[in-house]
Amino acid sequence: MQKMLKKYFPVFALPTLAAFAISFLIPFILGVYLSFTEFKVVSERKWVGIENYIRIFSQDETFLNSLWLTVKFTFVSVLTINIIAFSLALLLTKGLKGTNFFRTVFFMPNLIGGIVLGHIWSLIINGILGYFGVDITYDPKYGFWGLVILMNWQMIGYMMIIYIAGIQNIPDSLSEAAAIDGANPWQNLVHVTIPMVMPSVTICSFLTLTNSFKLFDQNLALNGKSPDTSLLALDIYKTFYDHTGLKLAQWHGMGQAKAVIFFLLVALIAFIQLRATRQREVEH
Amino acid sequence: MATITFRNVAKSFDNGKFTVIPDLSLEIKDKEFVVLVGPSGCGKSTTLRMIAGLEDISGGELFIDEKVVNDIPPKDRDIAMVFQSYALYPHMTVYKNMAFALKLKKMPKKEIEEKVMWAAKILDLEPYLDRRPRALSGGQRQRVALGRAMVRNPKVFLLDEPLSNLDAKLRTEMRSQITMLHKKLQTTFVYVTHDQTEAMTMADRIVVMDKGVIQQFDTPQKLYNEPANMFVAGFIGSPQMNFFDARLENANGLKAKSVGFELEIPKSKAAFLSDYINKNIVLGIRPEHFISPDEAFEKGSCSLTVSAELAEMTGSETNIHFELDGKRHIARIKSDKKINRGDKIKLLVDPETVHFFDKETSLAI
Ligand SMILES: Nc1ncnc2c1ncn2[C@@H]1O[C@H](COP(=O)(O)OP(=O)(O)OP(=O)(O)O)[C@@H](O)[C@H]1O
Ligand SMILES: [Mg+2]
Repeated sequence: MQKMLKKYFPVFALPTLAAFAISFLIPFILGVYLSFTEFKVVSERKWVGIENYIRIFSQDETFLNSLWLTVKFTFVSVLTINIIAFSLALLLTKGLKGTNFFRTVFFMPNLIGGIVLGHIWSLIINGILGYFGVDITYDPKYGFWGLVILMNWQMIGYMMIIYIAGIQNIPDSLSEAAAIDGANPWQNLVHVTIPMVMPSVTICSFLTLTNSFKLFDQNLALNGKSPDTSLLALDIYKTFYDHTGLKLAQWHGMGQAKAVIFFLLVALIAFIQLRATRQREVEH
Repeated sequence: MATITFRNVAKSFDNGKFTVIPDLSLEIKDKEFVVLVGPSGCGKSTTLRMIAGLEDISGGELFIDEKVVNDIPPKDRDIAMVFQSYALYPHMTVYKNMAFALKLKKMPKKEIEEKVMWAAKILDLEPYLDRRPRALSGGQRQRVALGRAMVRNPKVFLLDEPLSNLDAKLRTEMRSQITMLHKKLQTTFVYVTHDQTEAMTMADRIVVMDKGVIQQFDTPQKLYNEPANMFVAGFIGSPQMNFFDARLENANGLKAKSVGFELEIPKSKAAFLSDYINKNIVLGIRPEHFISPDEAFEKGSCSLTVSAELAEMTGSETNIHFELDGKRHIARIKSDKKINRGDKIKLLVDPETVHFFDKETSLAI
């Protein structure tokens, strides 16, 4: 049986392998290749070596700007989303009345698509800013914090559900033991609850980190019009589509190079982050 | 250094929907080893958890050292508790598990180490101090749970069925360890179990509970020799006491007539029983109080012949199961002969060892 399986392994693996190659591997390799070329359409390309990579750092200042903005945005969102989601989860696991209702309510924004949510918040924020005679494009700060609010609004519910599951997994007797050992509620939280939900923290920080870093549609919907609040993904998009004229082939090449860097960054973050939190987890 | 007093304590769950303990009054002395026993669901853990402060008290007052503690949170009660599930912190090493309470008290590191090492030595845990609980066996975890309580030097030690997850051998071993610990620490111990051997061997005094009501609170000897009612009589002792319905008659002296045998009431009991003449009573005879005719015995004025349905050799003694008046009973006798199913066996009873109960109230007479 074992031998049979070994023999026919390629046959069984082929469909998945083919799907993986066609939908991911080949486009990915092609994409990396294209980042070393200038092209208007994919079939007509000119090899330029690492020229595109040099250009995005020397000629196109938007890239470093949006990289920095993305880092700031990711940092702030990961912190706020996780802290708020965890706090809500703590509140909603105390067995108070109406708990189920609030769990549902907090989860709902997650069911609305990014673009729609972006437009809704753009209406709300612009509505409020309208009283002061400005709009969201007036100051990059508005755009930034608008995005943070939007991201929180959308992701907190989902993360909260994960934290609730994690908290409910902790045996009651642990916090009782801690209370008897002399821990006040705060010490109980720090020494028992938080270490015990580290697996959930891993999942949630990973999800929020990558989602914030890769954010695109909300960004497009909320502040696609303001030039200074493009995160990396939107910046890549704009590099492709917001330019016309003779140098279009160059812009395409640069966009491609940005996308490759973007991929490397996302992969690196995911890797480091998983390593770091895994070490702090406990099996129980 | 603590007394624990329940004064008319009541406990109900869900705003009075389920009353678990209707009215409990109990005084536990300083340095006493008190064991709570009773069938499952009778409220033992609930009682213990009220002492710990893990359950609110619905009515009455609970005192620790003359001080009402109804509204004092667990952390300020200076008690230690060993949970049935051990409740060790999975993310901490054995050392840290034991040191946790002391660390919270802001005790100097040096002192913490001394205390933990002292407990580890007594409990044989020194080789495991750097391990996480999941890398320990059940018995080791149990000892860590004990150690965590010991290092704190608390006023009161609470233990909720701490040995129920251990195998028989380890249980016997831990039983004597806990008893020794009590002698050494000189603190008040409250110990919950449903194992009556544990209760009998460890306790200074035993609380027998049923449905949240204390049936009797006394020393193991008293519970065994003078059970207050049929519940206690049946609960304490193993195999359990046999009950026979009987009728008390006065013809040529006081006699209890039951199906298959007749018992002459001894002089010592006659006075108490005089109110029950021509009434139904229940006779309680412990299995170990039956006597085989092989044994030299003279006083016996009561004998019955039964047909053995099952005979279990337990070494020096034999448990004979028999049926009488539609109920199953057990007699434990010394016998060298092999007893077979269906054998007719004569059993003797010393009337002095028989217990008498009121059939209506099931109280001891
Ligand atoms: N949180 C609760 N809500 C409602 N009823 C409860 C709650 N906790 C315990 N009870 C009930 O209280 C009763 C006593 O429970 P308790 O745990 O004290 O029993 P116990 O004597 O310790 O039993 P065991 O030997 O099985 O541990 C049980 O009938 C139980 O169902
Ligand atoms: Mg219990």
